[in-house]
Amino acid sequence: MSGKGELLVRDLRVRFAGQEHLLFTVSSLEIAAGSSLGISGISGAGKTTLFHCLAGIAKPNNGEILWDGTDICTLRDDALGRWRHQNLGLVFQDFHLIDGLSALDNVLLPACFDSWRPPAAVRKRAGELLDAVGVATGGRLAALLSRGERQRVALARALLLQPGIVMADEPTASLDPEHRRQIGDLLIGLVRSQGATLIVISHEHDLLARLDRRMSLAGGTLQLDTDQT
Amino acid sequence: MRCFNPFPVIRADLRRNQLLAWVTVLLVALSVASGIAVISQERALRQGSARAADDFDVLVGAPGSGTQLVLSTVYLQSQAIPLLDGDVLLQASAAAGVNYAAPIAFGDNWQGHPIVGTSADFASRGGKLAPAQGRVFQKRGEAVIGAAVPLAIGAVFSPAHGSQRAPEDEPGHADAAHGGLTYTVVGRLPARNTIWDKAILVPVEDVWSVHGLSGSHAGETTPHIGPPWSTRQLPGVPAIAIKPDSVAAAYQLRGQFRSTRSLALFPAEVLNDLYLTLGNIRDVMSVLVSTTQLLVLAAVLMALLVGFLARRRQFAVLRAIGASRWYVFSVVWVEVLMLIVSGAVMGCLLGWFGSTALSYWMQSQIGFAMPVRLGATEALLVAALLLLGAVVATLPAWLVFRRPIAEGLVSA
Repeated sequence: MSGKGELLVRDLRVRFAGQEHLLFTVSSLEIAAGSSLGISGISGAGKTTLFHCLAGIAKPNNGEILWDGTDICTLRDDALGRWRHQNLGLVFQDFHLIDGLSALDNVLLPACFDSWRPPAAVRKRAGELLDAVGVATGGRLAALLSRGERQRVALARALLLQPGIVMADEPTASLDPEHRRQIGDLLIGLVRSQGATLIVISHEHDLLARLDRRMSLAGGTLQLDTDQT
Repeated sequence: MRCFNPFPVIRADLRRNQLLAWVTVLLVALSVASGIAVISQERALRQGSARAADDFDVLVGAPGSGTQLVLSTVYLQSQAIPLLDGDVLLQASAAAGVNYAAPIAFGDNWQGHPIVGTSADFASRGGKLAPAQGRVFQKRGEAVIGAAVPLAIGAVFSPAHGSQRAPEDEPGHADAAHGGLTYTVVGRLPARNTIWDKAILVPVEDVWSVHGLSGSHAGETTPHIGPPWSTRQLPGVPAIAIKPDSVAAAYQLRGQFRSTRSLALFPAEVLNDLYLTLGNIRDVMSVLVSTTQLLVLAAVLMALLVGFLARRRQFAVLRAIGASRWYVFSVVWVEVLMLIVSGAVMGCLLGWFGSTALSYWMQSQIGFAMPVRLGATEALLVAALLLLGAVVATLPAWLVFRRPIAEGLVSA
């Protein structure tokens, strides 16, 4: 259990690139460590940009994003990369596996960012994670996996280094209904089991309904969904 | 900077982009191979031709072109050169500081193998070259053959007129060509890796006789072959090969026989002029090769750049999931360098094999062996290419290094 992943966002303002016009603002947002938040919104509302800001991939024009007290907006690029590596697990809509690597090597990839050879404990965990997500043959090339299997491997990769925060951008959007449910179950179940904070951006109401909180990005602001007010 | 391992990603990239990788490696390899072939061939030609001239310390011929004299004598290239007066041979044989002065007379062949009339001294290189089989000729009608002449000891053959093989110059036709003269093979010389391996050496008296020139030992009751020559009616010869006793004697003899009646030279002098020309050609070729290499590197760089830009989302993802900028820089830089190093290694092998094959072919054409060895120049060429490759590889790596992650993630 990491016990980390408390988020505090203050006065966040994001503009369209090169324009004065605001894309969205988040005046205040708090997420307790180990809890989960779902964010929905129409296309173009800025969900992915918000996702990038919260993950330290893009910088907002204004505001603070404090993860466990660290304002990631003030971190330099190298420190930000290190922070993501140590604290964050990311899952993308299109999986973004490396096709030329096996499923197991894809899962182990984050461990290659700070070591020549992943320690035995990490390699053991990679195998366990693949078992947990139901990919039995880790030696198969990622290019040969089905879409559902690819997303399972991507999920295992996100969880390899036991991050305190897991963020998923439309993790089930490119899957068929059967796989959507399975991946949703795995994502929520595994993240909860390791006590990490989970932020999911999705259009899937079924998936969002299973998270602790749900918010919508609409009209340029982030609002708590009406069913929770 | 964190310790990291970029090789899993590099391996995956190479596996996924095999065609681009192979084309890149082949382009670099061909570029390196052509450079190595040009340099090593020029060196091999120089060394091979110099070795062929080892048996000719001082050459004396009729006044005219020194190059023609060397080509016709050292390399047995069929050249129409004027004859030297016979008394020059007498003078050379009697001159101070001469170990031996051997006539070199050509004009006949057996199945394309040049028949050279000379003395036993030259055939044995003054006693320093023992036949591999049999012995050196001791009387007229005997022949000693080069290592590459397909005749057995004891074989009898007839010469045909001319330095080249004529259509009628087949077994059974030769008698008509030279009036029934035959030679008996009495010895075979060891391989010298020169055109002389293909030559047949016979007493010069036979060559004079068959061409209707007066005998050198006229009036003798039991005519011997070789020196001392008769002072009367000694026929002319195309060339005289002089073996001096010392370096000082060589210079003295060269000066002594440089006159209005004869031309004396060290074959090395003529070869130096040829090497100068060869060197100029090599310089031009080197510029062409270097230009080709630059063009190949530019083409490779462009192809790789397009390949890396097509994978910009992958690099953005790597950084998003925690890889540092230096990690993705290393992936690109090491990948490019690996392709260039692989190409350079393959190019060295290709260049060496190609150059060696070319040398074998050239040997069959020009007669002397061209030893191929890779030297410091080739090493410098490869090192320069690798250095340039390492610098060039930083360009795509730097572009990937600088690209914002979010921009890469949303790119198609």
